Amino acid sequence: MRIWKSFMNFGGKKMKRREVLLSLLMLLACTGSGTAEEGPEPLTVVTWGGAYEASQRAAYFEPFTEKTGIPVRAVQFDGSLASLRRHLAAGPPVEWDVIDLIRSDAQAGCREKLLEPIDPNLLEPAPDGTPARDDFMDDTITRCAITQLVFSTVIAYNEKAFPGRKPRSIKDFFDLEAFPGKRALRKAPVGLFEWALMSYGVPREQLYDLLSTERGFTLAFRRLNGIRDQLVWWTGGQEPVDMLVSGEVAMASGYNGRFFHARAVEGEPISVIWDGQLLGFNSWAIPMGTDQPDAAREFIRFATQTERMADQSSRISYGPTRKSAQAHLGLHKDTGVPMRPHMPTAPDHLTSAIHRDHAWYARTQALRERLFRRWLESSEATPSQP
Amino acid sequence: MDTLRAVMTPMDQVTIRQIIYRILMVSLVAVVVGTAASLAAIGFVDAIQWLNDRLLISPYARIQAEDRHWLVVAATIAVPAVGGLLVGLIVRWLIKEGRGLAPPDAILAVQTRRKAPTIRSGLASTLASLVSLGSGASVGQYGPLVYLGTLFGTMVGRLRLRLPHQRSIAIGCGVAAAISTAFNAPIAGLVFAHEVILRHYSLRAFAPVTVAAATGYVIANVIFERPPLFRVQFGGVEHSYEFLFFALEGVICAGLAWVFMRLLSLSGKLAARTPVPVWLKPAVAGLVLGLVALQVPEVLGIGQETLRFAIIEDAFAIHELALIIVAKLALTALCVGFGFVGGVFSPALLVGILFGAFYGLIVPFVAPFPHSGVVVYAICGMMALASSVIGAPLTTILIVFELTRSYDLTIAAMVAVVFSNLVSYRAVGRSLFDVQLKARGFDLSLGRDRAILQNHRVVHYLHADYTTARAGESVGAVRHTLVANGRAEAVLVDQSDVYQGMVHLQDLVEADPEAPVESIAHATGVVFHEDTSVWESMEMLRGFLGEAVPLLDRQSRVLGVVPEEAVIRAYLEIIHELRREENEAA
Repeated sequence: MRIWKSFMNFGGKKMKRREVLLSLLMLLACTGSGTAEEGPEPLTVVTWGGAYEASQRAAYFEPFTEKTGIPVRAVQFDGSLASLRRHLAAGPPVEWDVIDLIRSDAQAGCREKLLEPIDPNLLEPAPDGTPARDDFMDDTITRCAITQLVFSTVIAYNEKAFPGRKPRSIKDFFDLEAFPGKRALRKAPVGLFEWALMSYGVPREQLYDLLSTERGFTLAFRRLNGIRDQLVWWTGGQEPVDMLVSGEVAMASGYNGRFFHARAVEGEPISVIWDGQLLGFNSWAIPMGTDQPDAAREFIRFATQTERMADQSSRISYGPTRKSAQAHLGLHKDTGVPMRPHMPTAPDHLTSAIHRDHAWYARTQALRERLFRRWLESSEATPSQP
Repeated sequence: MDTLRAVMTPMDQVTIRQIIYRILMVSLVAVVVGTAASLAAIGFVDAIQWLNDRLLISPYARIQAEDRHWLVVAATIAVPAVGGLLVGLIVRWLIKEGRGLAPPDAILAVQTRRKAPTIRSGLASTLASLVSLGSGASVGQYGPLVYLGTLFGTMVGRLRLRLPHQRSIAIGCGVAAAISTAFNAPIAGLVFAHEVILRHYSLRAFAPVTVAAATGYVIANVIFERPPLFRVQFGGVEHSYEFLFFALEGVICAGLAWVFMRLLSLSGKLAARTPVPVWLKPAVAGLVLGLVALQVPEVLGIGQETLRFAIIEDAFAIHELALIIVAKLALTALCVGFGFVGGVFSPALLVGILFGAFYGLIVPFVAPFPHSGVVVYAICGMMALASSVIGAPLTTILIVFELTRSYDLTIAAMVAVVFSNLVSYRAVGRSLFDVQLKARGFDLSLGRDRAILQNHRVVHYLHADYTTARAGESVGAVRHTLVANGRAEAVLVDQSDVYQGMVHLQDLVEADPEAPVESIAHATGVVFHEDTSVWESMEMLRGFLGEAVPLLDRQSRVLGVVPEEAVIRAYLEIIHELRREENEAA
């Protein structure tokens, strides 16, 4: 199986055509699929880049290619449904075959018919024979998407920025007096409203009810206005890590797995505030009209196996949605750090976690974007902004 | 000794067996009624939420339909109106009483031995309140929940379990469990059942009601894991002089409670004068509510979100608070007066908390001292107003404690609550329930004894064997009859049995035997009527000399007599029964 990998790594340039053919033949002998004349078309998986993509490459892409011979081409996107919409609007052929979406986006995309339905029967049972339906957490198997991991959007800070008292709660993020310094937030209407309201002492179970009113948004924006001068925006998931590491900002929102990677693997002084962590879920889905539906389904079947999911969670601190995979949580593959305390699903971290309301998110997409854009424009227009 | 033992032993055995039976059966009643009431309460609250979401009443649902603006507008106007129409029809056709059943009916069922409303009426009333609340009417959910608990209590009260005060205790259990579940506050549920419904504390009632309240708590918390209703973060009261502010706030809240109750009664009168069929009146109120809600959406429904915003410092400007307070007061009065079925406690909580926030915002202008923030004033206002309206100071203090688990908040609220109750008790009476009961002729303001005596009719003690003298009979003939019957007085009636007066033997002895008997009759004197209460009869008997009092129907025909002894017996029986109920152990 190494052969295919070397073929992929060095490409056709260095290998002679005969060798290529030979290796292809050998590979096909192993896998017993495809035709000898032309190599299988690569499967395009759309995902998020950085340490997260690296964990996917090791846990899913490479083993998938090894098993099936189908190479995987990873394409990065900004995580938005708008990107998918644009790609589909560009017309056939639809190059994106599998997409890794936030669950609420997957739901909205399903309703908008941007995604193919997925037959839940393709999921394999757990190693002990438990049917997939019972092994997956509730609400993870939906019409167009299979939710595969729990991630968390958290606030992290650079320890060097706060040598004395450390920030502990979401409230501290908005407290420039006690914790001065720049803040980085994702330039998207996600998470920041919840945190802003939470900083007023609103309990997490009431956040979405209050955000359903004009008054709720007004309050949230008022809080954000309070730190507006110190705000820096990020778009890609790796940026907040880099900003914290470089000292550009003192606190930043970001994905817990990336912060974990920076700290555990790279040894950066980055700490996570678990208070108000926003739980999120990623789902595998298939863009509508993809040119490789069978391979896409095969990939999803492969990537949702217990063993594969457990493998990914030993590389990055995102929780698998299969109970049988959760049971396998152990030490980090490279550093030997125990993974459990870094998981969003660790019991201590769940006490104040915000459970993102996906139905609400899916249906308020347009409104949130509109309000956010309007606020951004109004804040950019003010002279206080440098 | 042996004889004594022979007498004692079988008696003791029976008693012990009876006691064991009673304890087991009462516990079983408590658990069964508690479970049923608790599950029903959860179902009721969830059903309201579900309806609110489906019918675009809750902000949570409205924002998700935000891209269909006209749909939301249409729902805002149409849903309460159509809901009102349904409520009107349910009340008209399915509830025998012709109105929603409420805590006063529970109080009445427990305090008097009279028949409780039927199960059918109770279910229909619950349905009507579900439609009211589901379609966003500005009424409360706890009144219907209390009645729901009463309903289960009434059902079990009917079983032949041979338990003393079975119905009262079963109703107390149902009410306690419903409140315990709805507020997630078992101690408050327990105290509410005693403070408002049972109106006395005896171990016999206390024990099962406690079991029922605990059952409600277990079901809500352990089985369904319902989140706490109202979590509040509060740092503590920072300045001692603020307790004066709390007391003053309580006094003002009593005034607001008075306004609220006045508005409710005015709205009822206005409804009575409105030339619209009774079944259509809730729809009219619903339409008005919907139109106002287009401008002030906070008036719709129970207002969980508004309740929360009220304790956030900057959520409302002062004028917004004033506007919502006025709108909510007026529309709640309108909805209740015009026949939506529901309680007044939730609106009172909402108005109270908004007023508390308002007070917290203006205090710094009036008294420029630092204070501990708006939260504590909001909570004080909420509890002071609500406790005055339902007449349950202890319950509301405990609700604060159980909901917030904050000692500081509870003590602050306690001060506001007692001052509010001190004033409102004088101004309007113990509670809205007691005011409503008084309007129905059951006045609890002078004590439970008197209310029950006033409600117990002396007609139950009617005797049919008495001596009649007909007008036209001779004195001699009547004297003869009296002597033969061994009586000292006769009731004089005319040919159509209409009461004319009393004839006393001592007068007959002196009179001419040939004279007509009416010449010596006493035309005046004490008479009872069918609706004369035991209390009134006691009053009327002051200075009465005679054997028995005639009891007349509406046409002044004699139905029978009530001997003086029977009135005294009635009085003693009732008082004795009450004292026994209050002092009973298990």
